Amino acid sequence: MKFSTNWIAELTDGGLATPAAGLAQLITTKTAEQEGVEAVGAHFAQVRAVRVIEAGPIPGSHNQRARIDTGAGEVTLVCGAPNCRAGLLTAWVPPGTTLDGGRAIGVAIVSGVESHGMLASGAELGINKDDDGVVELTDIAPGSPLDGLRPDHVIEVDNKSLTHRPDLWGHLGMAREVAAITGGRVKDPVDPARLPAAAPAPFSVEVADHTLCPRYSALLFENVKVGPSPLWVQHRLQSIGLNPINNIVDVTNLLLAELPQPTHAFDADKLQGSTIFVRRARAGEQIEALNQEIYTLDDQALVIADAAGPVALAGVIGGLDSGVTGTTTRIVFESANFQASSVRKTSSRLKVRTDASMRFEKAQDPHNTTRALARAVALLEAVCPGIRLVGGLIDNSAPLRTPPAIELPLDWLRRKLGRSVEASEVRAILEALAFGVTEAAPGVFTVTVPTWRATKDISIKEDLVEEVGRMLGYSSIPPTAPAVPATPPPADLERDYLHRLRSIATQQGFHEVYNYSFVNEPQVRELGLDPAAHVRVLNPIASDQDLLRTTLLIGILRNVRENARHLEEGRFFEIGYEIHKRAGELPDETPHLAAAVYAKAGDGTAGLLEAKRLAQCLAPGADVQVAAEARAIEHPRRAYEIVWRGETVGRIFEFHPKLVEVGRAAIVDLNLAVLQRLGQPAVRYSPLRRFPASDFDVSVITGLHTTAGEIQAQIAAHAGELFQSVEYVTQYRGAPLPPDRKSVSFRVTIASAAHTLSNDKISASREALMAALRTAGYELRG
Amino acid sequence: MMESQLAELKASALARIAAAASAAELEVIRVEVAGRKGSQLTELSKGMGKVPPVDKGRIGKLFNETKTAIESALDARQAAFADAALNARLDAEWFDLTVPPPGVRPGALHPITIIQKEIEDLFTSMGFTVLSGPEVETEFNNFDALNIPPDHPARDMQDTFWLEGGHLLRTHTSPVQVRGMQRLGPPLRMIAPGRVFRNEEVDPSHEHTFYQLEGMMVDREVSVAYLIYYMKTLLQGIFKREVTVRLRPGYFPFVEPGFELDIQCLLCGGKGCPVCKQSGWVELLPCGLVHPNVLRLGGIDPEQWNGFAFGLGLTRLAMMRYAIDDIRHLQGGDLRFLRQFA
Repeated sequence: MKFSTNWIAELTDGGLATPAAGLAQLITTKTAEQEGVEAVGAHFAQVRAVRVIEAGPIPGSHNQRARIDTGAGEVTLVCGAPNCRAGLLTAWVPPGTTLDGGRAIGVAIVSGVESHGMLASGAELGINKDDDGVVELTDIAPGSPLDGLRPDHVIEVDNKSLTHRPDLWGHLGMAREVAAITGGRVKDPVDPARLPAAAPAPFSVEVADHTLCPRYSALLFENVKVGPSPLWVQHRLQSIGLNPINNIVDVTNLLLAELPQPTHAFDADKLQGSTIFVRRARAGEQIEALNQEIYTLDDQALVIADAAGPVALAGVIGGLDSGVTGTTTRIVFESANFQASSVRKTSSRLKVRTDASMRFEKAQDPHNTTRALARAVALLEAVCPGIRLVGGLIDNSAPLRTPPAIELPLDWLRRKLGRSVEASEVRAILEALAFGVTEAAPGVFTVTVPTWRATKDISIKEDLVEEVGRMLGYSSIPPTAPAVPATPPPADLERDYLHRLRSIATQQGFHEVYNYSFVNEPQVRELGLDPAAHVRVLNPIASDQDLLRTTLLIGILRNVRENARHLEEGRFFEIGYEIHKRAGELPDETPHLAAAVYAKAGDGTAGLLEAKRLAQCLAPGADVQVAAEARAIEHPRRAYEIVWRGETVGRIFEFHPKLVEVGRAAIVDLNLAVLQRLGQPAVRYSPLRRFPASDFDVSVITGLHTTAGEIQAQIAAHAGELFQSVEYVTQYRGAPLPPDRKSVSFRVTIASAAHTLSNDKISASREALMAALRTAGYELRG
Repeated sequence: MMESQLAELKASALARIAAAASAAELEVIRVEVAGRKGSQLTELSKGMGKVPPVDKGRIGKLFNETKTAIESALDARQAAFADAALNARLDAEWFDLTVPPPGVRPGALHPITIIQKEIEDLFTSMGFTVLSGPEVETEFNNFDALNIPPDHPARDMQDTFWLEGGHLLRTHTSPVQVRGMQRLGPPLRMIAPGRVFRNEEVDPSHEHTFYQLEGMMVDREVSVAYLIYYMKTLLQGIFKREVTVRLRPGYFPFVEPGFELDIQCLLCGGKGCPVCKQSGWVELLPCGLVHPNVLRLGGIDPEQWNGFAFGLGLTRLAMMRYAIDDIRHLQGGDLRFLRQFA
């Protein structure tokens, strides 16, 4: 929303002493966030009315040479406008003037003629968008400044920060704020006496549902002459971003930007019948709007209709057929109030947002409809001489609500703010903002809310804390440390755990990545998953981001592929949530850790071992077993399960070369929910041995696919009561072993708590173990 | 006779010892000259019996002196050989430690993790609990319970990803306030970092997926003054220096009054520069006193309890701290970017 400081000054008694930049800062700290101040029409300090004395062609140019009367002498200049002619009263930009946008006007040779300044179009002066010719003026003496056109500053305020303030969508509301901030007084431009005296309404209004349309007011005018507005009106609208259209529409826009009551003018002669209906649309009804779009309505949209059908989308946009045109002579001037949520729904469903709908969405004040009509009478008379009212006020209204009074205990207010404040100061602030204040009991104010703040904005005492606080200035509140118990907070075990895992993974050389929660069908299918098992986004930002991930591997695979373009190798991991669909309730979100070791060179075994080390660092003591079956995405001979404390907690595998074509990627995928549930076993100290342990080596000859882990388990099971531990030493393939056999060696440690083992005892243990292994079907060496 | 023999032996032994070329040669000399059996010294000592008694004391002393001289010469020479051998070995062990160590270098935490952890630690040290909530939320928790009923214009401020089943991807971490109030009850102090989603086109400064940290305190007495205190402490912790903050009105339906908190530009000190768009202030976080409706919907009686809440953009903070100029790097998974944070 853009605010003209000239306009604000006009609505403030005695004008405005604060310069625009300072004013903008005050607005930011006390009211709403301003986004910048722009000087508009600074050139109007220099621009003057002039009369063209004579104009003639310049040979070889489409320009004309014009002699003008500036009121202070004659000047020659070159003009390219087709309407430049002798006798024309127009606007002259003297040399030394800079126009909005930075264009500097001086003395220049144009088409071989010395040209002093220029004659300007409406667009060049920033009055409107008219660029067809120079401005045409009437009834003005050469040398005079242009009527009502003065240098101005426009302050832009962030619309988001006005979401809760229906009143601040107009200059009157902002003028009230400014007056309250600067200690001035706001000047209401509305004179209620301008409404017609009691007289029969010239037509009737039927409102089907007062919830949707609490109030519908209107006036009928005749003897309307549609034409351009005075230049000052056009400039005022143009400078705050509204396009001047014609005098009637411009008045509706002035009211919208001032009070801020959206209004609409119908061509009365194009309305069928003598009743205006405010009703829900019938499903399938159509309307061609002023923006020349045709909208097909459902039965939710609220419309203004005549006997023949919809003539406007209530609170959003008028119909094209009933709109004001150059031939209009009678108008119905509508000033109504519509339910905020209904307007918002219609506008968002039909995707048409207008200056009117934006205001109604914020819940406008029903008291304002007739105020706007009183103001309209004055403005229309100014811009459309000869216009006449017909009959009385049309006003179909639900009973107007008196806002409830709010009890404001001053002590409570002080505690909320955390600073002291005098009762008189609270009263002065609230009264400046048009609240009514009475002291119901000592230290307790009863506050009545102005109707324009009562629709949605202010209803409870907390809302008044903001009013008082912002006007006092939050910088006046000293930061204060609260007196609270100094107890340690309950720990979030999951978060602590995840941070620990992150720290371990980085120590092992892995970099943390964050991948998106969004995936798509091709990615899901590539991983061998069913798209239907994924939560679907109804309004995805792009069609390739329409599912939520049920695995982190899609992101990890993408990371592998993209990094492989730049790097020979890489290690990374992500901790994130798999999102699994559940019928009728929120999805299950399971924390996982997925990691990859990628290397362009090598046979991939080093990466798998690194992956295993990572898994064992994250889940100390975890075992790895060959998976019963490899999935399609996995190397068929390199898929493993991670088993920890008796449960499968994850998987290690190498991506199938169909997925990773160049190089090898070893992957770890751990279900952290299971890991965390299992928890770390409590550490229990076991006493150190008093007598030395002894060890011996055992080598087992097996088929190539017998795992060391399996043999080791057998050794542990058969090593007898002295057994302490068994460790893998090495394995060997080659002569004299046949090609399908390998030898795997282990070191077995045995010990006794009672004495040092004798050599005989050690040999006996070894022999017993070897016999047991042979019995279990193993071939042994040595 | 004996005297001259001793002098001769001493002279020849010392000369041989000095001339020894190696420890092994020296050992041969030791055996020949000073060994226990059959050495030159041993042989000479046999002649002691023939020395007249009157000379015995003098000659005996001379013998011992000769023996000691030879033995110390042997020891000194041996020590010199040992030293030389050690030095030679050490000299051969010259090592170039400018080569990289074997094994992988540590990885890096994600920059947002780094910032998040710092802020978590800061708040836990001040008695705040860290809570988490799901990425997929109910419409109630994300909007209604935060005083944003259906058709509230504030819903337009947050472009929402809607999911089948009427759920949504949380547009802010604020739903964890609701979960926190229900789970902990008053009084409470909590923060909730997490991933949030907005339906926005991605470009260098916009992302549909980003990270926030929500905070809330509920107690008997909670004032704007407390809020400012915690926010100042937080920002000093983050920026590790004195900061100047200001509150100004800001509208968020779940707080009343609501504020935007600005920090005086750390780059220009408030004089105005491109970073603060010449205003001297940088908008940093929205905050406010918890709206009574939000307390009520969280099962807390607003007549008995008060609260403040704030939201912090972790993504934005990370970008500020590390001068990251393209938000897309944060979820790009490019190791060339990520390993810079090790």
